[in-house]
Amino acid sequence: MMLEKVIAAYSEAVFDTDRDKAFEVIHDAIAQGVTPEEIVFKVVIPSMEMMIKAISEDFDANLAQHFMASQIASQVTDEMVARFQTSPETIGRVVIGTSYADLHTLGKRIVSGCLRSLMIDVIDLGVNVSAERFVAAALEHDAGIIAISSMMVHTARSERGCLAVRQLLKERGLEDRIKIIVGGAPYTWDTELYKVVRADAWASDGISAGKVIKDLIEGMHK
Amino acid sequence: MMTGMDRLVAAIKGEKADRIPVFCNLLDQGAKELGLVSLYDYYQSGEYVAEGQLKMREKYGYDNVWSLFYVGKEAELLGCRKILFSPDGPPNVEHFVIQSYDDIHRLEIPDDITHHPVFVEELKCLQILKREVGGRYPICGYVTAAMALPALLMGMDKWFELLFMGPPEVRDELLAKCSLFCQRHIAALRELGVDVIVYANPFGSTDFVPLPYIIKTGIPWMKQDLSAGTQGIVYYCGGARFNQVIEAIISQIGIETYYLSPLDDIAAGKQIINGRGLTCGVINDIKLIDWSEEQIRQEVKRMLEAGMAGGKFLFGTILMPYKIPERNIRAMLDTVYEFGQC
Repeated sequence: MMLEKVIAAYSEAVFDTDRDKAFEVIHDAIAQGVTPEEIVFKVVIPSMEMMIKAISEDFDANLAQHFMASQIASQVTDEMVARFQTSPETIGRVVIGTSYADLHTLGKRIVSGCLRSLMIDVIDLGVNVSAERFVAAALEHDAGIIAISSMMVHTARSERGCLAVRQLLKERGLEDRIKIIVGGAPYTWDTELYKVVRADAWASDGISAGKVIKDLIEGMHK
Repeated sequence: MMTGMDRLVAAIKGEKADRIPVFCNLLDQGAKELGLVSLYDYYQSGEYVAEGQLKMREKYGYDNVWSLFYVGKEAELLGCRKILFSPDGPPNVEHFVIQSYDDIHRLEIPDDITHHPVFVEELKCLQILKREVGGRYPICGYVTAAMALPALLMGMDKWFELLFMGPPEVRDELLAKCSLFCQRHIAALRELGVDVIVYANPFGSTDFVPLPYIIKTGIPWMKQDLSAGTQGIVYYCGGARFNQVIEAIISQIGIETYYLSPLDDIAAGKQIINGRGLTCGVINDIKLIDWSEEQIRQEVKRMLEAGMAGGKFLFGTILMPYKIPERNIRAMLDTVYEFGQC
């Protein structure tokens, strides 16, 4: 019962983009005996999943809410994980970056925050990432997902972007082991574009990307 | 024969013209038109950009020309030292002027934009456009709103961080400086004879921030940006939706032209504006890369049917991607010319 109240109060604070209130709710819960593990697995993750579900059901969340939800959730998770009794198990690992010649970081940051709060390891390669670097980093870190963010149509469709990552995975026989997800404005404007650039999946916003990536990881583990 | 300016003025007044005005925003394509391989070379010369604009308008027959080179020019005026040029897309800011909050305190807004060394080529471009088509075809300028400009100076995610989680006094100091730049930029463009100023503000869209935030925080900054008046100002949110915001903007700021999002319902937007201004129906120009000519024709017809009744309507694009085939540009324009007759 108490956890339900905590989830409701925390989710409301996140929805209102009120970071101070969200942390106040979490710290009060800890003071009342809720464990850091419960905060992450029974408050933060369910709250994030509720937001993902609401967005999928046409709840009209805006970019500021996506940003704040992901930042609050990842910051709470970081603080709680530091207090865990034992190191937590992650459910998978993602390398993320913006596509070649693309310098826009907001989408990548929202996705990264969301993934961290869902206990998915994120290796952030930064901006303007070459196809070779995406694949090399995925192999080096044993990541099952390459996430490529593009803000502009020419970087999304570039021969040196996602298309080149696909080509490298194919040439090296890695397509079963590593999946590609794309996101960013051009994919929202053209919902078939992810097929043109030969990605495995796409997400319409940074929060929904959390679910798409989680589903991809779980699908690969089956 | 009517000119683009005649059509625009007729649309503003709700009077008859041969057809609705068409604003087709081709920028980078000018390089190809001049036979230049490099966008970098193209954007080093005001003569090139002016010639590209004039040639494309002449070739396709639409109604506007642009003095804008690329959006990052504003960042260059404020100290950006590196722009990333691509072979087939718009240049982007690579060096962010603001790396720390101290840089915000140090940020200086130029007193005189017109004579700023970074503005030399734009000035040449504007003077040529004015000489060649001034008074006959609307010359468009582009100004980024105070609330959106920091994204060009520090990156969008760092700006979101400061805007929503940072020290309010630092945020407001940056907004005040950006608003001052916005006001001076608008004044400079007006002085140089720009007819239409696209006031770009994604933070005026409910896709970016909630409506109450726009009303409480966004509109006061917009009022400050536009304190010299709204003549020739076009409300544009970078392609993001804003139908829900129109009423507040009309009643509190008085802007008279609305450049809708391709995702906004054109008929609904026009109904909200309700004769108090001009509505621009905007096509989803990313789709023009892959659509067939027939698909383009159907989409343009749908848009015109939604927006033309009652007049005070024009047709527009966002910044047309470089990869759109020429036949598709023509298919779009030919359909507007055919079915956009008033």
